[in-house]
Amino acid sequence: MRKVWNSIIENRFLFLLVLTVILFLIFSFTVKGFSTLYNLTNMTQYAVELGLLGLAETFVIISGGGGIDLSVGSMMSLSAMLIGVLIGKLGWNLFVGVLVTLFAGIIMGLVNGALVTYVRIPAFLVTIATLFIYRSMALIVAIDPKYGPNPMPISSFKESFYFIGQYKIFDYIPFQVVAIFIPVLIITHLILSKTAFGRRLYGVGINEKAALFSGIDPKMVRLFAYSISGLLSSIAGWIITSRIASARPDVGSEFLLQAITIAVLGGVSISGGEGTVLGVLGSVIVVTILYNGLELAGINPIWQLGALGVILIGSVFLNKILLERRRL
Amino acid sequence: MEFSKIVKKREFTILVLIIVLGIIFSFTTAKFLSKDNMTNIMYQLSNLIISAIGMTMVIITGGIDVSIGSTLGLSAVVAGMLLTNNTSLFLVILAVLGVGGIVGAINGVIIGYGGIPAIITTLGTMNLVRAFLFQVLRGRWITGLPEGVRFIGIGRFLGLPISIWIAIVLLIAFSYFLRFRPSGRYIYAIGNNIEAARVSGVDPKKIQFIVYLFAGILAGFCGLIYTARTGIVQTNTGMGFEMDVIAAVVLGGTSTTGGKGTILGTLLGAILVGIIKNGMVLLNVPALGEGLVIGLLILVSVVIDIIRSQGD
Repeated sequence: MRKVWNSIIENRFLFLLVLTVILFLIFSFTVKGFSTLYNLTNMTQYAVELGLLGLAETFVIISGGGGIDLSVGSMMSLSAMLIGVLIGKLGWNLFVGVLVTLFAGIIMGLVNGALVTYVRIPAFLVTIATLFIYRSMALIVAIDPKYGPNPMPISSFKESFYFIGQYKIFDYIPFQVVAIFIPVLIITHLILSKTAFGRRLYGVGINEKAALFSGIDPKMVRLFAYSISGLLSSIAGWIITSRIASARPDVGSEFLLQAITIAVLGGVSISGGEGTVLGVLGSVIVVTILYNGLELAGINPIWQLGALGVILIGSVFLNKILLERRRL
Repeated sequence: MEFSKIVKKREFTILVLIIVLGIIFSFTTAKFLSKDNMTNIMYQLSNLIISAIGMTMVIITGGIDVSIGSTLGLSAVVAGMLLTNNTSLFLVILAVLGVGGIVGAINGVIIGYGGIPAIITTLGTMNLVRAFLFQVLRGRWITGLPEGVRFIGIGRFLGLPISIWIAIVLLIAFSYFLRFRPSGRYIYAIGNNIEAARVSGVDPKKIQFIVYLFAGILAGFCGLIYTARTGIVQTNTGMGFEMDVIAAVVLGGTSTTGGKGTILGTLLGAILVGIIKNGMVLLNVPALGEGLVIGLLILVSVVIDIIRSQGD
């Protein structure tokens, strides 16, 4: 029994799987409409956006040195508005518009990364500042003088734009899960576990000095991590705009807490150098079920955030205790 | 002190900026220098200053507290509910200090004794406290405060708002604390080098606990001033307030890597933020641009700090 228990808390994916089963059973019995096929497949739409942002945060936090990205939600919002303006308002070609927006996402991440690594400002301060800067920019972009001084969502898209976020394979499986999320999961997993960059990222996160001595440029590695965060947040902004059929300047503001919680609950150590895509996937599933269950139960959305706050602090504690146990 | 030394001081730079902005705003807007507007700025500044005192100590230790906006909100709700029930002011003051103290103590225990990073902890409590506030308020507004108790928010003494007098007293008290009391010096010590401080007998956990406790208590007290000043409390009261406070402290020269910062600098930083926000309203710059300006200000001032410290 003790052995089983040990392996459950030591293996994050297993731990989250158990948690998933428990949550699933609780909600199936207590919440009407939870365990229907429609609801279960439908909630994976939301999981895609959560997952992309959780992975964005994962790269940054693994890179260590107090790395954290508080601006993921704002980068998502600004990307959503860029999509809205370029594709919706200006009628750009879908492919070009998305490409330009994702490129802009990379630039936003690069700015964060450059300020953190080359100017050496603490990450939380840089990204708290850009959280507000990017959010403000999203709001300003959303102002259309034709409709007065207030920011307005943009919904003048062509039908083809909605495909990625709304089409369902066999009427059930959301297209973005197959076309975006699974490929991103596989690619990020391969990057972290199989490539030289992945090894460098963990190396820098565990011990910056040691990495430096073994010929790794920690600044470059971290710059990449922040850029990847920008790119993934930007993809999330594109997908959600297609799903809700509207580019909203405030679309990402609720995602910050979720992104960090997902990374940390997934076993990404806040001090860097640790974390896997599999663990993050596990926590995306847990958080998605929790959100969906609470929502169907009619509990005020503000408590979803309250619950996440507790889970966030709790999982950092758990990671810390596990780390200390392993060191003994 | 020699003039050249004064010029090199961070405080001097901010003072010049305040004067320059003041001149610009008084020429570009008709209302800026009017007595009404000046009083208005002061009313709004008092909370910013009081909370910024707590944030200064937090940031000197190398930490951050993003939960103070929620703390202010919750305490404003508690103050509003008690005041509309005609509770005596003394008890209300105890209650708001208690609310702030509880949130601050929770942060302090988790950060100081639990060793969890400050940004994670306070991000968590920020949302938890906001959810709690929502539960208490259930979407309603609190209005209809008895007029008698509103003097804390809108009353005046010798021409200045009473809340500003409170801020002045706290500024002096905490300046003294940081400069002359051993515990105050320890705050700098753990910000500079936590290991060195520990070796020389300072208990970093205790100091961190105290710092977050103070930050919470001060934000809690601001909740009372807020309620008394505006006479209305909503679920979003205090949202984003932490940003202005952090901006004021960072602009005031407190180093985010810890160990450096003064209360005087923070006061000037707060005045600068207050003037900028006021000027933007008068110039009809949409409120949407505020985050952009404040965010850029934070980054620019930190970059200047870093360039300066490399010059030394």
